[in-house]
Amino acid sequence: MTQNETLAVRITDLNKYYGTFHALHDVNLSVKKGEKIVICGPSGSGKSTLIRCINRLEEHQQGSINVLGTELNDDLGNVDEIRREVGMVFQHFNLFPHLTVLENCVLAPMLVRKIGRDEAETIALEYLTKVKIPDQAQKFPGELSGGQQQRVAIARALCMKPEVMLFDEPTSALDPEMISEVLDVMTTLAREGMTMICVTHEMGFARQVADRVIFMAEGQVIEEADPETFFNNPQNERTRGFLSQILNH
Amino acid sequence: MSSLTQKMETIRNDYFSTRGNAVISSVCIALLLWIGWTLVDWGLLNAKFSADEGIDGCRAVSGACWAVIDARARLIFFGLYPYEEHWRSALACLAIILVTVLSCIPCFWTTRRLAFLWLAGFATFYVLMRGGVLGMTEVLETEWGGLALTLFIFSAVCIVGMPMAIVFALLRRSQYTVIATTMALVIDGIRSLPLLSIMFTAALVLTFVLPDWLQGDKLYRVIFGYSLFFACYQAEIIRGGMQSLPAGQEEAAKALGLNYFQRISRIVLPQAFRNALPPTINQFVVTFKETSLVTIVGFFDVLASGNAAFSSGEWLTTYVEVYFFVALIYFSFVFSLSRYGAYLETRLRVGQH
Repeated sequence: MTQNETLAVRITDLNKYYGTFHALHDVNLSVKKGEKIVICGPSGSGKSTLIRCINRLEEHQQGSINVLGTELNDDLGNVDEIRREVGMVFQHFNLFPHLTVLENCVLAPMLVRKIGRDEAETIALEYLTKVKIPDQAQKFPGELSGGQQQRVAIARALCMKPEVMLFDEPTSALDPEMISEVLDVMTTLAREGMTMICVTHEMGFARQVADRVIFMAEGQVIEEADPETFFNNPQNERTRGFLSQILNH
Repeated sequence: MSSLTQKMETIRNDYFSTRGNAVISSVCIALLLWIGWTLVDWGLLNAKFSADEGIDGCRAVSGACWAVIDARARLIFFGLYPYEEHWRSALACLAIILVTVLSCIPCFWTTRRLAFLWLAGFATFYVLMRGGVLGMTEVLETEWGGLALTLFIFSAVCIVGMPMAIVFALLRRSQYTVIATTMALVIDGIRSLPLLSIMFTAALVLTFVLPDWLQGDKLYRVIFGYSLFFACYQAEIIRGGMQSLPAGQEEAAKALGLNYFQRISRIVLPQAFRNALPPTINQFVVTFKETSLVTIVGFFDVLASGNAAFSSGEWLTTYVEVYFFVALIYFSFVFSLSRYGAYLETRLRVGQH
């Protein structure tokens, strides 16, 4: 296979500014299909900004982003095409509170993929079963716990049958006892071969699931390694400092 | 039985717990009873209802002279509309009321159904009122009046103004600064003008400015001017509702691949309207009441017709009864509106904790 066919995401020399603030600084990252990447780093290091650039929730100023062979630029058609194939899970779930769980899940497949309601509902129930809450389908998001809402959010993204899943601190807003139910779902998804890019501080998850761990600080990629090396033998001083802070609290 | 004792207990605790409270409560109750009795005595027990004996029949009683309503109700409801055609105006009123009630029912809440409903409603109203077809004599807009006119102006302003308001609100939020600033100027400009001056402009000034073919009847110009005014206020209400949405809602919709119109129609507007429901109902209420301003530019709405009902001939002294009756008409509409608003709030609260 050529490189293009095996790469899910290729980010080259990416620079992003908020006004004069240099948020991302010459970031390079390639993610192969089926690969699981965990991005960590202190707050304000640009890790969320980076994955939000991948589906154009943030615009970049320099460099290029190529997702599944489509170049991300000002062409709205390209943006739409990429968003169809890239699912995203947010820190604060962002479920639509005025729609039931089932409606949340069938909305995009019906509007964007133009599939019929019956088929969309079948798919939705399949994924709701996968995240272990098919019995909550008729409830409104506000009636569910945080962990359940995040699992619905994952199911909602999966209903679009995306090639790549982005996770933006999916467990940071959860009560501690609900974190594992969400991580379990994510682990299952990883086992099934989904391409995943996760911004998270769950180091247990990173160790167990990630193919590569990336450490970012001040808008730059500081260190990139397989989890074994990353945790046991970090090369960079700042990585060591960060790891000692979050692993020994 | 125990619930009754419980209630008595609550009343005693809430209103008669100390001597001071007991005195205040007793005085208030006495006052309420007195007002209630006076009203019943004046309005029902000592009132004259039939107009058979004219105003003379009222001289014999000490209470209200409802005879004026009996004699002049048609004037209040239909204004100057030709007497023998009143049935058409009545049917037209019913059509508008029916369409309004139907569009309050959730199963009609799709753009297509609402559009169809109101198109049918206005067409029925127009054909019945204007006539000139199906063997009905033609009645010009200048002869329309009374409750029929008030209802027509109100519903037309809401139906024309609401889509305008949505467009205005979206333009004001535009990512292009030029569009957003222009829209902000237009909205703030129109909001700073008194409704009266807008109606004057629409009724009189526009006739000098616009070419003949674009003028239309004065009624439609006034409705358009009023709609513009309504839209500017309602646009700000909708914008407020949009701003209270977390940014994550639109982001999630974008991430799912929804395009701009899908995001606006499925995610943003439904939630914005839910947030903005109380001020929206308020806007409807104000709009309904301010339709009475059209009398200034020569229209005979329900209030002006009420004035006419007592100010001619023998009924001169019965203005209290007429105003009471007109107030009752306004009250029944405004009260239904606010009750409906309250119902909607409870209904929409489901699932939003």
